[in-house]
Amino acid sequence: MENEPFENVILELRRGIIVMAVLSRLGEEQYGYSLINGLKEHGLEIDQGTLYPLLRRLESQGLLQSNWRIEADRPRRYYILSDEGRALLPRLKEEWTGIVSMMKKML
Amino acid sequence: MSTNLIDTYVSEVGRRLPKKTRADIEAEIRSILQDMLEERSQKTGKPVDDEMTLEVLKSYGAPEKVAATYLGERYLIGPRLYPIFMLVLRIVLVVTGVLAAIGLGIALSQTLGHHSAETIIKAIANFATSIMTALGNIVLIFAILEWALFRAGGKVEVKGLPIEKEWDPRSLTKVSAPNQAKMGETIVEIVGCFAAIVIFNFYPQIIGFTPSLNSVFENGNWSSVTFVPLLSEAFFYYIPYLTLVWASTIILNIVLLRMGHWTTVTRVFVIGLKVINILIAGAMLAGSSLIAATTGALTNALGDAEAARIMMTLLTQGVRVGLWLSIIGGIIDVIRMIYRTVAGSK
Repeated sequence: MENEPFENVILELRRGIIVMAVLSRLGEEQYGYSLINGLKEHGLEIDQGTLYPLLRRLESQGLLQSNWRIEADRPRRYYILSDEGRALLPRLKEEWTGIVSMMKKML
Repeated sequence: MSTNLIDTYVSEVGRRLPKKTRADIEAEIRSILQDMLEERSQKTGKPVDDEMTLEVLKSYGAPEKVAATYLGERYLIGPRLYPIFMLVLRIVLVVTGVLAAIGLGIALSQTLGHHSAETIIKAIANFATSIMTALGNIVLIFAILEWALFRAGGKVEVKGLPIEKEWDPRSLTKVSAPNQAKMGETIVEIVGCFAAIVIFNFYPQIIGFTPSLNSVFENGNWSSVTFVPLLSEAFFYYIPYLTLVWASTIILNIVLLRMGHWTTVTRVFVIGLKVINILIAGAMLAGSSLIAATTGALTNALGDAEAARIMMTLLTQGVRVGLWLSIIGGIIDVIRMIYRTVAGSK
């Protein structure tokens, strides 16, 4: 109970960076489950219920594209950055660096 | 068996999703679950069985929860419409309260001591019914609006509603005096139209004629009081059309309240409403009599044939004059509005 405000803030912070983290991993084609594992290896654990709807949203915004492929007799959906997503990523990185240095000065 | 479990789970999620995206999301969830099972099987060195499938499904989450993550937040009345919804609600509650108080007053004055407890209870029940009906209708209208906005993907700009666009404080000074919406007039129109909707749709029976109650006070004979309904069926034929005009006028005035000034769109809307009003008044003039009372009924009520004849003439002519005045006033308003719209667009 004491940790609740702390956890809420952390949740908000993580929610903010998930989009950037996902986009940063999709320079190369990946299917959802491998993406989750890849992010986990980097220390970011994402709930499946958060990731898949997010991938669909990013695709509908034109930042990602996806295609179904049959592998080992079953279909898998692969996601990759679209041209728009590729153009956006460096700008996001720059913004993120700015945020980090600003917060460093503040904290 | 494990495939059956997955099929059942996936279709349980799918039936909670919109048809448009259902098949695609179902295929995706099926693929994810198979990935999860494959990984778990490799880790444990065991083949996939029912127990493992159940564990995976449990960790993936309840179907309704999974479906909800794809649907996003849904509102019956969302944050964009909520402030205007509350404004309408407050106005309606106040007006309904006032009308109920008037209704109670009328009911009490008509029974005057007799059965007053019963009258009060009936009035309270009427009040509760009116409030519930009004609330239900308002919520329904706003829920439909919300649904329409949701379908439009929030791309629709509704004048008068808070929208996410850059606001320029300089726009405050751009509103010229003739374009300024008058707060008092706006509220009076909202209250008037709402009262008209409620009275003519829910309490048409209170519009009638009761002769002086003096005789009742003198001899205490209540059975001698006659209530003569004034409006004919021909009048009530127009009520659905009038209700639409009144409801549109309320919506327009709420938009004006929010915006604080007139625009070309709102003026054109008002011109449309005024024209419809003129047409209805014209149809009323040309059609059957709007008065239900007859000289005979009034004679019975008043006990004086001559007075009844005079009253009947006054009523008939009064309605005709009223309708002509509303047509002439409407035409003047339309001309004024057209002039302001043209002048405002220059």
